[in-house]
Amino acid sequence: MAHDPIAFELFKNAIFSIADEMALTVFRTTYSGVLKDNMDYSTGFADGDGKLVAQGLTLPGHLGSVPTAMDSIMRHYRDDMVEGDVFIMNDPFDGGMHLPDIFVFKPLYHDGKRLAFACTVCHHTDVGGRVAGSNASDSTEIYAEGLRIAPLKLYEAGKVNKTIMTFIEKNVRLPVKVFGDLRAQLAACHIAEQQFAELVRKYGPDETVAFMRETVDYAERLTRAALSKLPDGEWSFEDWIDDDGIDYGKPIRLFVTLRKTGDHMVVDWTGTNPQVKGAINNTLSFTKAASYTGIRSVLPPGIPNNEGVFRAIEVICPPGTVGNGVLPAACAARGLTGFRMTDCMFGALAMMLPDKVKAAGDGGNTGISIGGYDANRKPFIYVDFTCGAWGARPWADGLDGNSHMFANMASHSIEVTEAEEPIQLLAYEFVPDKAGAGKYRGGVPFRRDYRFLEDEGVLQVRSDRRDHRPFGLYGGSPGGASENYFNPQAENRVLPGKFTMTIRKGDIFRHVLAGAGGWGDPLERDPAAVLKDVRNELLSPRRAADDYGVIVDVARWAVDEAATAARRDELRRARAWDVVPKVQWHDPNKPEETAVRAVE
Amino acid sequence: MSERYRVGVDIGGTFTDIVLLGSGGTIHTKKISSSVGDYARAIVEGLSELFVETGLAGDAIEEIRHGTTVASNAILEHKGARVGLITTKGFRDVLEIRTLRMPKLYDLAWEKPMPLVERYLRQVVDERVDARGRVERVLDARDAERAVDALLAEKVEAIAVCLLNSFANPRHELMLKEIVERKAPGLKLSVSYEVLPEIKEYERTSTTVINAYVMPIVASYLRALRQGLDKAGIPARLLLMQSNGGLTSDQAAAERPMNIIESGPAGGVVGAQALARAKSVPKIITFDMGGTTAKASMVEDGEVTRAAEYSVGAGIMIGSRLLTGAGYTLKVPAIDLAEVGAGGGSLVWIDGGGALQIGPESAGALPGPVCYDKGGDTPTVTDANVVLGYINPSHLVGGALALNADKARRAFEDKVAKPLGLALEKAAYGAHLIAASNMIRAIKSISTERGRDPREFALFAFGGNGPLFACGMARSLGMSRVVVPPSAGLFSSFGLLYADVEHHYSRTFRRLLRQADLAEIERAWKTLADQAEAQLAAEDFAADRRRLRRSAALHYQGQSYELTVPVPDGAIDARMVEHLERPTAIAPARTSRSSLYRSRSWGRGCARARRSPSA
Repeated sequence: MAHDPIAFELFKNAIFSIADEMALTVFRTTYSGVLKDNMDYSTGFADGDGKLVAQGLTLPGHLGSVPTAMDSIMRHYRDDMVEGDVFIMNDPFDGGMHLPDIFVFKPLYHDGKRLAFACTVCHHTDVGGRVAGSNASDSTEIYAEGLRIAPLKLYEAGKVNKTIMTFIEKNVRLPVKVFGDLRAQLAACHIAEQQFAELVRKYGPDETVAFMRETVDYAERLTRAALSKLPDGEWSFEDWIDDDGIDYGKPIRLFVTLRKTGDHMVVDWTGTNPQVKGAINNTLSFTKAASYTGIRSVLPPGIPNNEGVFRAIEVICPPGTVGNGVLPAACAARGLTGFRMTDCMFGALAMMLPDKVKAAGDGGNTGISIGGYDANRKPFIYVDFTCGAWGARPWADGLDGNSHMFANMASHSIEVTEAEEPIQLLAYEFVPDKAGAGKYRGGVPFRRDYRFLEDEGVLQVRSDRRDHRPFGLYGGSPGGASENYFNPQAENRVLPGKFTMTIRKGDIFRHVLAGAGGWGDPLERDPAAVLKDVRNELLSPRRAADDYGVIVDVARWAVDEAATAARRDELRRARAWDVVPKVQWHDPNKPEETAVRAVE
Repeated sequence: MSERYRVGVDIGGTFTDIVLLGSGGTIHTKKISSSVGDYARAIVEGLSELFVETGLAGDAIEEIRHGTTVASNAILEHKGARVGLITTKGFRDVLEIRTLRMPKLYDLAWEKPMPLVERYLRQVVDERVDARGRVERVLDARDAERAVDALLAEKVEAIAVCLLNSFANPRHELMLKEIVERKAPGLKLSVSYEVLPEIKEYERTSTTVINAYVMPIVASYLRALRQGLDKAGIPARLLLMQSNGGLTSDQAAAERPMNIIESGPAGGVVGAQALARAKSVPKIITFDMGGTTAKASMVEDGEVTRAAEYSVGAGIMIGSRLLTGAGYTLKVPAIDLAEVGAGGGSLVWIDGGGALQIGPESAGALPGPVCYDKGGDTPTVTDANVVLGYINPSHLVGGALALNADKARRAFEDKVAKPLGLALEKAAYGAHLIAASNMIRAIKSISTERGRDPREFALFAFGGNGPLFACGMARSLGMSRVVVPPSAGLFSSFGLLYADVEHHYSRTFRRLLRQADLAEIERAWKTLADQAEAQLAAEDFAADRRRLRRSAALHYQGQSYELTVPVPDGAIDARMVEHLERPTAIAPARTSRSSLYRSRSWGRGCARARRSPSA
């Protein structure tokens, strides 16, 4: 190591605390729940060449987003940049991800020399387009999705570009929120600028630059050292999205191959479905984020998020696929594809490391947006992203009511929602008998019932994991499918997974998340754990008997040991497994549905 | 007349510290082993021993002030009461679902904290109040009785009640309260409207449940302590330190034990506040470093900084507070502390990338640092300080604990200096600096991350290890003044002697400020003020010794971050509204709304005694 290890550690502490402080600045000044509760934003710090040095701790889904965006800024402006410039951009086909994610970058100078960039990306409440919230999954071209901003200078040498500001103002539904959040991003860049100047004063410009480079090299060394400890070889996995909401019932295949040699890993998505009409096409940067998230979860904690990590992990995805869309691919609701790719990564990693990785969770968040205008033509937009059931792990049950790994989101408070939006929540509770059975069971999903209180509005839903349920691993059963209902207290109409519809006062929409997949043979589950779930009404006595072979005496709250042994024998014989299936998408005790697809 | 004494008692995991401060300035101290399992016994025995040593008698004691970890331990060790919860139909799992967020990214091994009430002990009732407090679905008395009966049949030791939107209308909660009181007189009961009439169902439910969970254990602890004191002939009244840095009577603590959960670390901060006032230092940052953690907090204009909510048992906090989800959420005001896992026992190690790291793992009391010679072989921060000569190996704990400095040097040489290619002293100094830089993040999180410049503050360092690091940290933060009190290790119990009795009340009152009915705001404020006055009167504070303060938490319509602003005395009129809006005036054209009202009240009851710990 070329540098003084102690001075380096001190520098590293300082630079990561700048990235975190930028994140806190956005958190405090934002106008939108998407940023505050869902933490759908990221902050970071790049060196003078635009290479990511540090990223704040917010959203895994943004891992890898800043480098792609920085590349685009450098491509356009490398030699056309001065102190006081601020860049803005959201174009998915020129460095962005999807239109609501607006990037703001500020180059930082010392004595006229560019040393670094402050970087922020925030998901904005609305950027125009045909559906409020700019999140619609049923747009078929980028042109319907909202305002597309190429890499532009929002400030030129410290002077704001009013033309850009006005264009934005006139094309979004809630300019107050959008400008509030843009100000939050500018404030974060400002904080970074001040703190970075301190750092340069302390270490001098040359040392600062050298340390930034070393921070990246250090992350690369850590990543490579950790990768070296994993087995070499090649593993593949496939998973499915039910459909894109346009071509109903046409499943979309995701296919990944992991190739690991020495201290290098290739994540290859060749074999993944061509891009689709619906708005769930990823940019390559988002596919990278899903790939990194999967791998990071099997690497030791404490590796800084920066360019160094990305050097050791190569991600390939052919253009024109759902993982790397090209013009005019619509991509507003591509979050779904990112979540499914993360599931697919976990599947492949579970083949590589059977005792380290969880089964599939509920599939990532369901996006629900309700928008319209009140009697005074004042617009309202309610956006809820919700998810919460983790797949079972080789050593423990899946978590009940915990955000998906790819997006560490918080739920909105029901009471605050009811005080501010024309929405009432009628239920937010666990649903029994939907968690995948296993030696360790999958997480228990919940349902949310929304009642609409305005005269008329548009309900838009993006859900999945209905036809292709969350897979179970190594003998574990898949979780139960997700469900959508309209007015469950009256007609109880079943709704599709993805739809847009008009709703009226008093209408109720119910969403039930998919249950998460189980891990290991359910007949090996500790009967006391089964009893506990029955006692807590998360599992019915009948399913305890059918799925686990555990007979519960509900009068005494005890396991009937003899009856349980007999029932387990009976189930074991009927099932007649030659080998324990590695992956299951269907219930093993319903032979007509059994289609075990063990992946080599 | 003979001297009257105030007593400060601080219970830690290993030691119970007792400090007596006389009206004439006499000080007596006592450090004895804590009586784990029956903490009250050590207090009574310690006092009795002090009486023998000093010739004092029980009636010389005016007041006993006590900081305790009984409540927080009950939560951390899951040894609280068997609680039943009654909530609104459809929302049985609010307590368990929490906010969905987890405190660590990419961690497949994360486990959510176990809910304090298991699902089968969570009963629902069919009722509904809307966000404005209108009853949409009336609670049927038979349904309510059924829910209560079901919990009583499960032999619960306490019941918590938290219904949706009850902050806006408590009718149904009060109905359930009446039923519980009728069917099970004397059963511990925690009703959300009484405990925390504020919006946000998860935070309110969690707080109400925690209160119920520790009620029986705190009540029986305080009863045992009172009985022990009576038996020892000490009639003095007993006051408990609260998480907010104020004292409360033992009866009030038993009724609202949620207020004394973080009783432990508060004493030192309050002591620092008193010392700062005495020395006329308006702005201080306190730094308390012990064996496993370091805590920082801020006192500004003579006032400690408080957080409106925090998590019990969230573990060590990195400077950043972005990732929440650990521990148990408690929405009561508490001294705002940032904690990092850096103490004397923190391990020094080299990571896979070749960087020198400190903690968060600690050598603990056993095996402890290498120099303790009790089997520890991984170097710690204390070992680094021994190598550097910052700790005198023959004078720790007054020489009672002899240190093996050679062993520390060897371990440092082999495990740190050689692998890094550094000289021994350089490596040890590096470890010292890195430990300091980790702790600097805690200080930054309560200063720069809140828009405060640490250079304007003085650093008050205490705790066993605080003073060792204070000067270096102050230098790198550009702080020009460091204060180390005498007996830095006993400072927390001294601090107890300088606290006032203090109570906080709050409620949610959501109105657009400019359109609000001012008389209605006035009435809302008065309800809180009346509550505070009644509580202080019950604690024997005459009207001229009470002081009330109020504040409002405001945010723009549509913005989610709240800013708390003090509300001066006087009528709530148009001028006051304008005054309130001023601090939040980032964009004055926009409407703002008043969301919460908070009230604080003090009873200043003991201002006559001398206050300087150096007396």
